[in-house]
Amino acid sequence: MRRVRVLGFIALGLLAAATALTPAAQAARKLRVVTTIPDLKALTEAVGGDLVDVDSLSRGVVNAHEIEIRPSMMLKLRRAEVLVENGLELDSWIDVAIQGSNNANIIRGGAGLIDVSRSLPVLEVPTVRVDRSMGDVHPRGNPHYSLDPGMAPIITQNIVDGLARVEPEHRPTFERNRQAFLAELDRHMGEWSKMLEPVKGSRVVVYHPQWIYFLTRFGLVEAGWVEERPGIPPSPQHLVRLVRTMKDQGVKVLVYAPWNDQKLAARIAEEAGAKPVLLAQMVGGVKGADSYISAVDYNVKALAQALRQ
Amino acid sequence: MTGTRSISGAVAVTLGLVLAASPAVAQDAETLRRELEQLRRSFQEMQQKQQQAIDALTDRLRRLEAQPQPVTAQPPTAPATTAPPAVAPTAPAPVAQTPGGFQTGPLTPMDILRPRQPFGLYQQRGAGQLLFDMGVTGDFVGNLVNKKLERTQLGTFAGRENRFFPREVELNLFGQIDPFARADVRIEAGEEERGAATRVSLAEATITLLTLPYGTQAKFGQLRNRFGWSNAIHEHDLPWVDRPDVYRIFLGEEGLVEKGLEATWVPDFLPVYLEVLGGVFTSDNETAFGGGRLSHPLVTGRARAYFDLSDTSAIQLGTSVASGDTTDNLRNTLLGYDVKYKYRPDGWLHPLLTLGSEGIYSIRRVSRSTDTTGLVDTDGDGVADTEVTTSSVSRRTLHRFGFYGWGEVQPWRRWAFGLRYDRTQYPVDPGYQWAIEPYLSFFPSEFLRFRLGFKHTERSRDTVFDPDGPRARVGNELFLQGTFILGAHPAHQF
Repeated sequence: MRRVRVLGFIALGLLAAATALTPAAQAARKLRVVTTIPDLKALTEAVGGDLVDVDSLSRGVVNAHEIEIRPSMMLKLRRAEVLVENGLELDSWIDVAIQGSNNANIIRGGAGLIDVSRSLPVLEVPTVRVDRSMGDVHPRGNPHYSLDPGMAPIITQNIVDGLARVEPEHRPTFERNRQAFLAELDRHMGEWSKMLEPVKGSRVVVYHPQWIYFLTRFGLVEAGWVEERPGIPPSPQHLVRLVRTMKDQGVKVLVYAPWNDQKLAARIAEEAGAKPVLLAQMVGGVKGADSYISAVDYNVKALAQALRQ
Repeated sequence: MTGTRSISGAVAVTLGLVLAASPAVAQDAETLRRELEQLRRSFQEMQQKQQQAIDALTDRLRRLEAQPQPVTAQPPTAPATTAPPAVAPTAPAPVAQTPGGFQTGPLTPMDILRPRQPFGLYQQRGAGQLLFDMGVTGDFVGNLVNKKLERTQLGTFAGRENRFFPREVELNLFGQIDPFARADVRIEAGEEERGAATRVSLAEATITLLTLPYGTQAKFGQLRNRFGWSNAIHEHDLPWVDRPDVYRIFLGEEGLVEKGLEATWVPDFLPVYLEVLGGVFTSDNETAFGGGRLSHPLVTGRARAYFDLSDTSAIQLGTSVASGDTTDNLRNTLLGYDVKYKYRPDGWLHPLLTLGSEGIYSIRRVSRSTDTTGLVDTDGDGVADTEVTTSSVSRRTLHRFGFYGWGEVQPWRRWAFGLRYDRTQYPVDPGYQWAIEPYLSFFPSEFLRFRLGFKHTERSRDTVFDPDGPRARVGNELFLQGTFILGAHPAHQF
C-alpha cells in the first residue's frame, strides 16, 4: 500500500512538472506569434488584441540588420504558430533561425509566415545596378518603413490577412481591432503634423539611412549621412565634408539611433554647430517609447523641439 | 352515343384544366414580378458594392500617389512641400497572398504521397528573379615556417609550407526547392599541395526536408557533420586561421565530412533550447573510420543545449558521439564535448568576449602484430638450435584525448584579438603535442577580413612520426589570411 502511495506521489509530481514545463498550458487559447522586430510586435498586438501572445526576437536598441542568431530564438520559433517579418532584407537573418526551429508552419511558403512589406510603397529602390562597393545596400529598397506611421494601414492589413489565414474565424475581431487602432493613430497624426508644420522643409543629417520614411512623411529633408556608405564606418575625409555641408546648409539636427556611435554623432554635431538627437528607431528604442504610438510621439516631439531651437 | 360522351368528357376535362389553371397563371405572373423585383434589387446592391470597391481602390490609389517622394541631399533639392496624407482608417484593399501557395502545417503521410506543386514560392518572387541565393567566398592563406618544419612537412599546412595559396574558394548555392525542402550546394576549389593544380570538388550538397512532423527535420547528402561545434563550420568562417589540432589529428585536415542522412528533433516542451541529432553515414573518413559502406556505417549523435544567462550573455553546451569501423574493420568511437560562451554588451554590433572549448575522447580498437623470435628444435635432436621468428596479432583498445580552449576579445568593431591553446594525444601513435596560437583579426567590413596568427607547437619526446626520417619536435609558424564574401552568405549562428 505504501508503495502505491509513493508511486502515486511520484506520478503526480511528474504530471505537475510536465504541466509547468509546457508553455502551451500557460498561453492557452492564444495564437502564439513571434515577430522579428519590436515595431511589428506592437502592431501585431494592436491587431490581435487578446487573441494573440506576441514576442519579438530583437529589441529596440539593437541594429536589426545584424542580429546574432541565438538558439533561444529558435526555441521561440519552434513554439510559434505565426511569424511576422519586416522583409526587404532588413531581417533576412531570420531564415537561419527558421531552419533551426524545425517548425513547418513558419517556413517560406508556410501559412504562418507573414511578410508585412507586401504592397508597401517602398522608397529608395535602387534604379541602377548595385553592389557591395556601395555598402550594405538593400536591392529591394529601404526597409525602415515601420518608422512612418502613415504605413500602418498597409502593415496592419497584412497582419490581419496573415492572422486570419491561420485563424479565419477571428478575422472580424482582427479587423475591428485594426480599425480602432488606426482611428487612434489618425487622431495623433493630426497632432504630429501640426507639431512639425512650422519646421517643414528643414534639413536633417542622419547617422544611418533609416529615417527617410519618417522624414518624408513630415516634409523634412535628409541632407546627408554620417555613414558614407550604409553599414560601413565613415572615413575622416567624409566626416570633414559632412561637417562642411552641414555648416553650409545650416543643418541644425543630426539624428542617430541607440546602436550608432553616440560619441561620434555628438562630435560631428558639435563641430557643425548642430544638435545630436537620439530618436527611437523602433518601439523600446528609448525610454518611454513603449508602444508604437508613443515611439512615434517621442520622435516627433524630440525632432520638433530640436528643430525649433 | 359513345362519341358524344367522349366529346363531353373532353370538354369537361378542358374546362376543368382551364378553371384550375387560371389562378396558377395569375400566381406565376406574381412570382415572376417578385423575382424580377428581387433581381433588380440584387443588381442594384451588387452595383453599389462594386462602386464601393472601386471607390476604395481609387481612394487607395490616390493615397499611394499622394505619397511624398523622398527628398535627399544628393542632389540637393528644394524642401518637400507635399502635404503628408493623414492616416486613413479605412481599410486598403486586402493584400493578395495567394492562398493556394501556402502550406498549412506539418505534412501527414498522405500529404507526402500526394503530388505537389511548388508554386507557392514562385509567386512570392517576381518574374525573372533567381529562385535561390548564391555567393562566393574566398579564403587565402600564407604560411611561413622554419626550414626544419618545411623539410619534415609536420606543420599545419603540410605540403604548402612557405607558400601563399588559395585554401578554399567556394561557390555557395542555396535556397528552397519547393515549400517543403531546401537545398544547399557548396563547390570548392583550393590548392592541396605545392605545385599541384587547383582541384575543384564538391564540398557539400544536401537536401533538407523542412516540413516533417513533431519538430523534426531530415538532411541528407554530403555534408559537414554536426559533430561538436566547429566541425560543421567551413574553413573561411572559423574564428582561427587553422582548424583546431584535436580535429585535424583525430579526423583529418578537413574534419568529419560524410555522405548519409541525419535527422534532428527540437522539442517544444522544454524551458531551454535542446536539439537532438542522429545520423547514419557511409564512413568515408579514413583518418578515424574508413568503412566506406553502409553495411559498416558511421553512426553519429549530438545533443546541444543553450542557455540565455542574460540579455547580454549566453552559453551553449553540446555533446557528440561518432562510432564506426576503421579500415581494419575495428571499432572506433569518438566522444566529444563543446562549450561556448559569449558576452555582447547592450547595443553592441559584435561580442566583446567569446570563450570556448571542444574536446574529443577516442576509444579505438587496434591490432598490432608482434614478432617473437626463439630457438626451435628443427632437426629432432632434442636441442633447440634454430632461430625462428613467429608473428602474432594482438588486439587492444586505445584511449586517447585531445582538446582546445579559446578566448577572443573584440573591443572595437573592426578589431579582434584571440588566443587558442591546443593539447592532444595521437589516436594511434604514442605521445602528444600542444600548441599556442595568438591571432589578430581586422574587419574592414562585414564581407572582408584579414588575419595574422602565430602558432608555436611542441611535441612530446616519445612522439614517433617517421622513424626513418628527421623529427621536428618544435615548430613555429606564421599565418596570414585574407577572406572575402561576395554575394549571399547565410547568417552565422551563435
